[in-house]
Amino acid sequence: MSPGVSQTLLSVRDLTVEFATEQGRVRAVDRVSFDVQAGEIVGLVGESGCGKTVTGLSVLGLVPRPPGDIVAGEILFEGKDLLQLDESGMRAVRGGDISMIFQEPMTALNPVFTIGAQMTEVLRLHKQLSRSQARAATIEMLDLVGIPAPAKRIDEYPHQLSGGMRQRVMIAMALSCGPKLLIADEPTTALDVTTQAQVLEQIVKLQSQFDMGVILVTHDLGVVAETCDRALVMYCGEIVESAPVGELFESPAHPYTAGLLSSIPRIREQRLDRLPVIDGVVPDLLHLPPGCRFADRCERANSACRKQRPDLNGESSLVRCFKPLSETKAGGAS
Amino acid sequence: MTNDVKPLLQVRNLRKYFPVRGRLFRTVQAQVKAVDDVSFELMPGQTLGLVGESGCGKSTLGRALLRLHEPTSGEVLFNNEGDMTDVASMDKAELLKQRREMQMIFQDPFASLSPRRTVAQTLLEPLETHGIGTAAEREDKLKELMKTVGLRPQVLHRYPHEFSGGQRQRIGIARALTLNPKFIVADEPVSALDVSVQSQVLNLIKELQEEQGISFLFVSHDLAVIQHVSDVVAVMYLGSIVEMADAGELFANPKHPYTQALLSAIPVPDPKTKSKRIILGGDVPSPMNPPTGCPFHPRCSQATDACRSSEPVQTVVSPPDTTDSAPDAGPHTVSCHLYAP
Amino acid sequence: MNTAVMTDNTVADAPRRTLWSKAFYKFRRDRAGMLGLGIVLVYAFVALGVWLGLWATGWADVTGPKWGPVSAEYWFGTNLIGQDIFARALYSTRTAFEVGLVVAILSTIIGAVFGAFSGYFSGGITDELIVWLMGVLDSIPFYLLVAAIAFSLGDNPYAMHIAMIATFWIGTARLVRGEVIKLKEYEFIEAARSIGVSQIVIIFRHILPNTMHILLVQSTITFVAAIKSEVILSFLGIGVQDGMSWGLMISESTLEVLAGFFNNFIAASLLMFGLVMAFNMFSDALQDALDPRSVS
Repeated sequence: MSPGVSQTLLSVRDLTVEFATEQGRVRAVDRVSFDVQAGEIVGLVGESGCGKTVTGLSVLGLVPRPPGDIVAGEILFEGKDLLQLDESGMRAVRGGDISMIFQEPMTALNPVFTIGAQMTEVLRLHKQLSRSQARAATIEMLDLVGIPAPAKRIDEYPHQLSGGMRQRVMIAMALSCGPKLLIADEPTTALDVTTQAQVLEQIVKLQSQFDMGVILVTHDLGVVAETCDRALVMYCGEIVESAPVGELFESPAHPYTAGLLSSIPRIREQRLDRLPVIDGVVPDLLHLPPGCRFADRCERANSACRKQRPDLNGESSLVRCFKPLSETKAGGAS
Repeated sequence: MTNDVKPLLQVRNLRKYFPVRGRLFRTVQAQVKAVDDVSFELMPGQTLGLVGESGCGKSTLGRALLRLHEPTSGEVLFNNEGDMTDVASMDKAELLKQRREMQMIFQDPFASLSPRRTVAQTLLEPLETHGIGTAAEREDKLKELMKTVGLRPQVLHRYPHEFSGGQRQRIGIARALTLNPKFIVADEPVSALDVSVQSQVLNLIKELQEEQGISFLFVSHDLAVIQHVSDVVAVMYLGSIVEMADAGELFANPKHPYTQALLSAIPVPDPKTKSKRIILGGDVPSPMNPPTGCPFHPRCSQATDACRSSEPVQTVVSPPDTTDSAPDAGPHTVSCHLYAP
Repeated sequence: MNTAVMTDNTVADAPRRTLWSKAFYKFRRDRAGMLGLGIVLVYAFVALGVWLGLWATGWADVTGPKWGPVSAEYWFGTNLIGQDIFARALYSTRTAFEVGLVVAILSTIIGAVFGAFSGYFSGGITDELIVWLMGVLDSIPFYLLVAAIAFSLGDNPYAMHIAMIATFWIGTARLVRGEVIKLKEYEFIEAARSIGVSQIVIIFRHILPNTMHILLVQSTITFVAAIKSEVILSFLGIGVQDGMSWGLMISESTLEVLAGFFNNFIAASLLMFGLVMAFNMFSDALQDALDPRSVS
């Protein structure tokens, strides 16, 4: 965490992304706005289909278009709007100032090239290093992420490494050019629990060492609690709550957040007879209700909730709800 | 055991090895010891939670019990009206009959239902295969199954792709219930589901445990889920059970270093508990190249010379804590040199 | 039963959408594919009419002059003997469809069954035998094999069909085998086994229906291959023995072309080209529409 004044590294404003499907246009991300400060780890939490991955991909212009389409919004990185950049402009940013690591270490690395070849490629592209300089820097990076015997491993192929190792190679690749912002899309979901612990520890350590901003996209609230400073909860393409992590877990304001927290199985001293359940299912993005998107599943919903869509309200902590759980949060209308 | 109720399932020295064949001449060069000398007992109505990470053999074990993988050696004794018959050595005809007592729930809701068969066809298949019931009786059975899992009978004529993951998993559970089995292997039944749906399906499974008295082998990598549904918990590592105890006892007093590391590795949704993490060195090993001696020693911070050279033996750490309310309590056993007598 | 929530309201109320309707919707948007299908249907209609005796019945009649020009009566003129070229070309459409359909359907069925068994028991004796058989048949040059079969079957009018089926099934079998090797690892197959369903039933009930997307596309490819092969075989004299086909027409026309008369050749080639081209467009669009990755 950087001391003193932290500048706003990334500022997303009203990002809206739509996808063309057989049954019509779907709005995967609906007017999402948030900031990331330098040296801050922000968690983007939600279940499948909530729009968190698409949001992460949009920052680096990796949303496939077609069928995707960024219809509105700005993504300001150090003041520059990334959405206005053309492809070559984006390529200069990717891997250099902003890096990304993905969920599946199996498919994110090219199986026919050694990891050394893939990593030095990144370095030579962005930093114009010579071959031997790039190789030396790569070995250093591999050591930094905790890969044993890096001088030997650099010439190995991805299939010779385990899942956890491959993920660390991806992290090394992402960090090799010293990016200011790292986007991690479910980086540990495909890993075993013990490996996950190692990799998360690595990410946090490197984050503070490099003083990077990190956007951590995940569905695992446990991961958020352990690593993030702030968390944004997404539902049906919108941000429904944004708060510092301590506050979010202790007194969640949005009923969805509260429902999620109570329904996750966790190790308890006295086990429960039945887990609390959030009734109903996530609504189809093609047939969204007119009012609050969570109203159908919410115990607290009234007729006003179903008629009008609430705005995101609050100052440092935000919630999108007419009847939030915590009284200190500003509600919307009603 | 202080009572004389026979166990439903007795697994003795079960082994499943997969041969690794050479490329040119297809001779057997090595064995992948996916399940290596596993033994345990399961009482009627009890749920055994089997926990471990990838490559530990838990899924293979579940399948070997149902003979979806043919066991290499060992016995799987099932209580059929008081007779303990060995499933592993049954012939085809006996096995077909036996299948009515043992069923399975699968992990992937998107791959476990045949995409070109309706729900009705999928649920009817067990009944047709075993020639059970008239057409009218089958129809009633299907309606009853749908209600049990919380789906409306109107959707019986739909195809799997029209349902969500959680709903498909319910259909899979309905299919497993069709033959009224006494024993179900649940292989990671909620791992592929969204968090808010997991609790729904777990509650359904608990209902089945309580209202229908079905015994479960519940396989999962998620200790929190295991705690919620299991009476007894077994921890697997590289093909062997390294620790087994009643659920409460295991979570309160984990003995094996791997169990302790596993418990501490779980990210807790509570930022205040900055747990003292036991971070294991190294990676989950591949069963093709197991270490000598205790399979866990390369990653164990407490490994001794004995650990590196000889395999540990299963020792009883504390005896069964049987009470009137827990007549089926079992002992707490560990396979670790630290506890060797 | 209180906690199992009735969660399927949206499913019960939504309109039925089978996998086929999704594919159909996708196919309809492919213009080239729709055009191809339209043309194929026109040809099929013509072939049906010929088969029912509605037109081109006088294809063998010698009515016109030798090498008559294109006229109102003879739309493509007449050939060396004085037969109506257009009528002969139309009649050949029926032959083409007959050969195409018989070969396509039978070779696809045989290929599907062999491929499925080979794939399901992959690594075992069945698989080894079938793969060996495919290898053997594949290494014999196609036209030699056909000639051998045609010769040994003598006057059998289906010698050509049998020869084609005996070789075309291999392509389908290979594709099906590859797909089945993947399919059999799916959990719904394990589920069927855990219920006690026998392996043969699993293959026909669960595995083969999930290869339909391959079978449909392969059958269209085989149809086209059969028509094209027939042309060459008839040209060589070991194809169609009685009746008329484009191949025979082209074969006849070799002499005529030397004398400067092209109508016969053009008529046959044009019609054949039209059908093959249209079918290919249809087949490509079909393949895209049925691609399980975008449909499921």
